[in-house]
Amino acid sequence: MKIKYAIVLALVVIAVGAGIGLKMFFKPHADISKLKAEFKLDASALISEFELDENAATTKYSEKILEINGELKSKNKMQNGTDLLILEDEMQGISCQLDSVWASANQPTIQSLQIGKSITIKGICKGYLMEIKVSPAIIVNSH
Amino acid sequence: MLVASLGAISQSKFISKNAYISFYSSTPLEDILGESNEAVTILNAETGEIAFQALMTTFHFKRALMEEHFNENYMESTKFPKAKFNGKIDGYNSSILSGPVNDIKVTGILSVHGVDKTITISAKLGLEDGKLVGLSNFKVIPENYGIKIPSLVRDKIGKEMEITVKANYLPFGN
Repeated sequence: MKIKYAIVLALVVIAVGAGIGLKMFFKPHADISKLKAEFKLDASALISEFELDENAATTKYSEKILEINGELKSKNKMQNGTDLLILEDEMQGISCQLDSVWASANQPTIQSLQIGKSITIKGICKGYLMEIKVSPAIIVNSH
Repeated sequence: MLVASLGAISQSKFISKNAYISFYSSTPLEDILGESNEAVTILNAETGEIAFQALMTTFHFKRALMEEHFNENYMESTKFPKAKFNGKIDGYNSSILSGPVNDIKVTGILSVHGVDKTITISAKLGLEDGKLVGLSNFKVIPENYGIKIPSLVRDKIGKEMEITVKANYLPFGN
């Protein structure tokens, strides 16, 4: 009887272990629309922080979810089909690549965006490379 | 501020803010491909100097777990957030920028994971449909850049990683 229990126990452990392993292996990418922003701030304030001390700002914001409000400067489709929004400054502003799943379900919102108007996006900050890179991002609010 | 000061030399520099860079390795289990569309590159038309930078965190993988391992275990992205290349086109002559896509060699310093190495890479540069494009495909050995790969998986991953780069350059300041 003891051996039987040991075998059953071992099988259960293996099954659970394999389950956890597979779940980790197939873990999906983060769904931005369901995650809460850790920081809510204005685009200009975020840019100033990175310009003032890039290393400190990178440590503070990199890989964190940010909700950013700023002026939409441009809206483009990249070669691979990704929607690219730029806030505040065309060259040294905030570059936001929209989440492809969210974007395909929200094309009317993207199409109605107006250059020069205020917009709020939420996305993962990737750091600073001439401009602040945010991807993937979604639109939270547009006026 | 910086943009204003660049106005005077707008004709002599080309930039791409959304250059493509990928990192590929084949394993028996599955191929590992990390891609970024957020690299920045600047080409100085007067001197033939090329600067290329990518943020490690912008590399996107098919599986979230691969992305995690890439950033946390291998590249240590918090410690070394950027990969950089600063080089110069060998035997540079500005006329190649107005001709069709041609083979070039670029020699410079590749800085990855905090380690600098001088390398020469083969690339292509020139006009395609009236636009200046740059392409390159080269191989790197992770161990040369102090990137430790656990022995358990070392045999399964190819010794060299293949790097592919594509950039569509635009005149700076426009």
